[in-house]
Amino acid sequence: MQQLIELVDHGIALAGTGDRADLRRRLEQTKDRLLDPSIRVIVVGEFKQGKSQLVNALVNAPVCPVDDDIATAVPTSVRFGEKPAAFVLSQRSSSGTIESGGRVERTEVALRELAGFVSEGGADPRRDDGREVTGAEVFLPRKLLKSGLTLIDSPGVGGLTSAHALTTLAALPSAHAMLFVSDASQEFTEPEIQFLRHAMRISPNVACVLTKTDLYPQWRKVEELNRAHLRSIDPDIRLFPVSSHLRLAAVESSDTELNAESGFPALVSYLRRDIVGRAELLQLRSTVADLHSTTEHVRLAIDSELSALLNPEKTPEIVAQLEATKDRADELRRISARWQTTLNDGVADLIADLEHDLRDRMRSIQREAEDSIDEGDPGPVWDQFVEWFERRVSAAVTDTFVWTQERATWLSERVARHFTEDEVALPTINVDDTRDVLDPVGEVATLDSGRLGAMQKFYIGLKGSYGGVLMVGIITGIVGMSIINPLSLAAGAVIGRKAYKEDTENRLQRRRNEAKMLIRRQVDEIIFQVGKQLRDRLRIVQRTTRDHFTAIADEHHRSLADSVLAAQKAASMYAAERDKRVTALRRDLERVDALTKRVRAIEKRDARPAAGESGPASTAQPAASRVSAGEPRVGTAPA
Amino acid sequence: MTVRVLDEVHALLEAAAAEYHEDDEAVRVLDEHSQRLGEPLRVAIAGMVKAGKSTLLNAIIGEEIAPTDAGECTKVITWYRHGTAPRITLHLVDGGIRSLPVRRDDGRLVIDLGETPVSDVDRIEVEWPSKRLEEVTLIDTPGIASLSTEVSARSAAFLTPQDSPSEADAIVYLMRHLHSADLGFLSAFRDTSVGTSETVNAMAVLSRADEIGAGRIDALLSARTIAERYRTDGALRSLALDVVPVAGLVAQSARTLRQREFDALREVARLGRDARERMLVSVDRFARADAGIDVPADDRRNLLDRFGMFGIRMSAVAIRSGCNDSTDLADELYRRSGMEDLWRVVSDQFRSRADALKARTALAALSSLISRRPTAGSSALARAIERLEANAHELRELRLLSAARTTGIGLPDAEAAEAERLIGGRGTSATRRLGLDDDAGDDEVRAAAGAALQRWRAMLGSPLLDRAAVEACQVVIRSCEAVMMGVAPTSVVRSKLRLVRHPEPSLSRPDHAEHPGNGREHDSGQHQ
Repeated sequence: MQQLIELVDHGIALAGTGDRADLRRRLEQTKDRLLDPSIRVIVVGEFKQGKSQLVNALVNAPVCPVDDDIATAVPTSVRFGEKPAAFVLSQRSSSGTIESGGRVERTEVALRELAGFVSEGGADPRRDDGREVTGAEVFLPRKLLKSGLTLIDSPGVGGLTSAHALTTLAALPSAHAMLFVSDASQEFTEPEIQFLRHAMRISPNVACVLTKTDLYPQWRKVEELNRAHLRSIDPDIRLFPVSSHLRLAAVESSDTELNAESGFPALVSYLRRDIVGRAELLQLRSTVADLHSTTEHVRLAIDSELSALLNPEKTPEIVAQLEATKDRADELRRISARWQTTLNDGVADLIADLEHDLRDRMRSIQREAEDSIDEGDPGPVWDQFVEWFERRVSAAVTDTFVWTQERATWLSERVARHFTEDEVALPTINVDDTRDVLDPVGEVATLDSGRLGAMQKFYIGLKGSYGGVLMVGIITGIVGMSIINPLSLAAGAVIGRKAYKEDTENRLQRRRNEAKMLIRRQVDEIIFQVGKQLRDRLRIVQRTTRDHFTAIADEHHRSLADSVLAAQKAASMYAAERDKRVTALRRDLERVDALTKRVRAIEKRDARPAAGESGPASTAQPAASRVSAGEPRVGTAPA
Repeated sequence: MTVRVLDEVHALLEAAAAEYHEDDEAVRVLDEHSQRLGEPLRVAIAGMVKAGKSTLLNAIIGEEIAPTDAGECTKVITWYRHGTAPRITLHLVDGGIRSLPVRRDDGRLVIDLGETPVSDVDRIEVEWPSKRLEEVTLIDTPGIASLSTEVSARSAAFLTPQDSPSEADAIVYLMRHLHSADLGFLSAFRDTSVGTSETVNAMAVLSRADEIGAGRIDALLSARTIAERYRTDGALRSLALDVVPVAGLVAQSARTLRQREFDALREVARLGRDARERMLVSVDRFARADAGIDVPADDRRNLLDRFGMFGIRMSAVAIRSGCNDSTDLADELYRRSGMEDLWRVVSDQFRSRADALKARTALAALSSLISRRPTAGSSALARAIERLEANAHELRELRLLSAARTTGIGLPDAEAAEAERLIGGRGTSATRRLGLDDDAGDDEVRAAAGAALQRWRAMLGSPLLDRAAVEACQVVIRSCEAVMMGVAPTSVVRSKLRLVRHPEPSLSRPDHAEHPGNGREHDSGQHQ
């Protein structure tokens, strides 16, 4: 890694001499990326499967609270730090809902006290100052974490509130890999497989961990069954049977045999080689590609000037050639360029499609809701009903956004095809994060539960009976009875009862109508707000993609224009100056070549672990030595 | 009283059969239900896959007759009824019936379907001589939320059919932790099993309780805390009568403990604490060939399968604290496994209400038949059902209990809780209804019941109650009266005579509670 940074520094220096601010900027971004390598691995699974214990066993420290009953409530991330430290992240909240966009405050707490903050119903997560804990960060000096690995212990999915599942899914796009945890008591259940399938769409790096193998004598059979289930989803998913309990005991007594039995060495080496290694590999590849393209650009200008100086008679030819290439490159810069059209049309299509998709999903939810309202009385169960409704809505919205991400990536690939170069880097698009999407949507209004007090009932009955008493009273008045007589009272009672019954039915009907209207209004509101965000995100996609490809086109243009200029300048140079310039250019070229060579060397080296990776995974070999293999390679310094 | 409900339902079913005599299908349904009234209560054991349903069933019966395995095992709905001799019958989907050979392998019953594919089998009926099965018929079901969706769908279709009442009168629902799938299932069961008039007839079991605390010796304490939390949890409260933690594996093995196993366990207990814990650090270590204990590895593996880590630890502790033979150990393990609590709750909630629950199912079936196929006389039948449901106190109790658990009964919280207890929300024995210790004497019960009766009568007088609350009060008062009747001295006739000679004036006498006899006399007088 250090070496790469050094190389990038070289590149920056080279670009600086060539007076190319655009190339410099690009390399500086690359360097920033290299300096902060954060590889996030999220640990997910049903609750009470041993997720927290797994994280603890991986880092050999009781950082995540483990309890028989109480489950983890907020995500805890564990990453490298020189000194052990713990922070609690909290946000201002009002009446239980966290305000979006509120400032996140980090408070340092003692490691021991952390448990109280992150557990469900532990020490009250909402503290007296109206702030709610939304997460925790732990820093530990561990070798495993040093390469930037960050482990995230998530609250269990499918717990009492399956809102947790959605939070976890929402956090997935930002993670590099996912460890799916299930204990050895039984094979995968249907909800687990469903979650796994869903997660696979968002994050392709998934491995399964079978925990608690110390407790279940039949774990080998369960492992076999689980492997069969995994094969039906994707044969590449790995499964690691482990026992956190054994690992912790092994560390305590420094018993290597026990450690081997715990199954952790295989998991750790998987994390090191496949997750960290692969992330580093990707990092390496993109850095190398950046360096390559920078050197190409710089070399082009130097090359053309040099050849113009050395063969002055060919200058016009070279210039003509360059001009032609430049014209072609300029095509890409023009606003009417074909890729621009593709992009604009694509985004317009995307907006239409996704809005329709959202509307379609919401309407089917609305239909379902209305059907169930018609079946019963929505009044007494309104709260549960709203909960169900909200859960369905967030699931639908998540689905839409995941689809948006897929379609947006596909679109940018199509745009990239317009660029004839061997391989154009794709812009990074990240639009499937649904964490704040539903925040602007208000809560569903409350519905009258339909219970009446005694007075109200009496009043309704009285109102109804009044007419009866009067009518019959007047008629009987003809035969000389008073208005209030037994007959009229009886009629009043009968009609009052009827009126009360009718009123009850009317009120039920009214409640149903009101409930339907509330749902309809809420659906409208959701379509409006979420649709707006969807459009916004797609516009961001459009803008990022456009800027990304425009920058690429600009770079080409700059390089070609510079070369043309240099070649023209060379033709009009005096002989003496020319010689000096040739020497200077040759030196520059050598430096560029040296850099190219080193980049090539690194590229070749990275091809080797890549080959090992596709081969049969040899779990026994410690992966660390793999990644940092081929270390002695500082050799080819510029001459 | 209970006899009366069943008789009336019987009569009603006969009347319906006469009404529907031309409709073969309807007559078949009615016959089936009137026959069912005479059979033991049907309790289905349901839950997610691998919740331990078959293990629990074995523990209840006391023999390993339901097959268990590490993978998903039960794939066919299996009925366990009482019979004089063991017999297995296979009911096919197309109506065919076949008899299967009864074969036992190492104590376990082997049910071999032979050539028949699982999808062709409707259900298996096992007849087995067992005391417990005389009281209830147990139905073992395949797990819900299974990966083989067909198996899950079969269970769901059996327990929660779309258009008819469930075949089971009550349900014991096993879960390891509360999942949303569990709640969904329980509410579906309530919706379909009872149709229009609601009843709570499910109880939840926190199964595999021994695994909760990673097999530690205090696992059941943790399990009890968790069960307590679920009991008060709103979502589950409205669906299940009670939540009980049970270590099914330990209970099953305790009831089928063999001498050889006891000897092996005694060897384990003889080791020092450290040595034992070192060996019990993982299942692989315990079953290792060179574990340094004088028990063959196969036996140790067998111990793990039959008892689990928790069971072995528990046995070791029990043996060290003085269980000297296998009978002692079996009793101790069974006592600790939580099975006694479970069976007590089943007795309290289901067996003592068996008649009401059976009547409920039959009435629900009849109403659904009437609504599906109305005839000239069906409205009279419907009225008869309604009358029966309104008058039979047991049914009213059930209905009120369900209302108390779900929509509320319009009383303040403290009163609502008391009402729920008095109508049998925590068990139907007099002491449980009154919130007394189980061993309270008759006098104590009488005093408490009298006090409660007086309190609730006073409450009924309040003009501020709405109709639901008034009805609730009436049911509660009726329950109190039933309790009083239950503990009345046998000489009812003599006191009645005294009542005639010295008529007692009013109900609200302050010394009412001190002289419960007076109150009772008055009550019995009222009901004559």
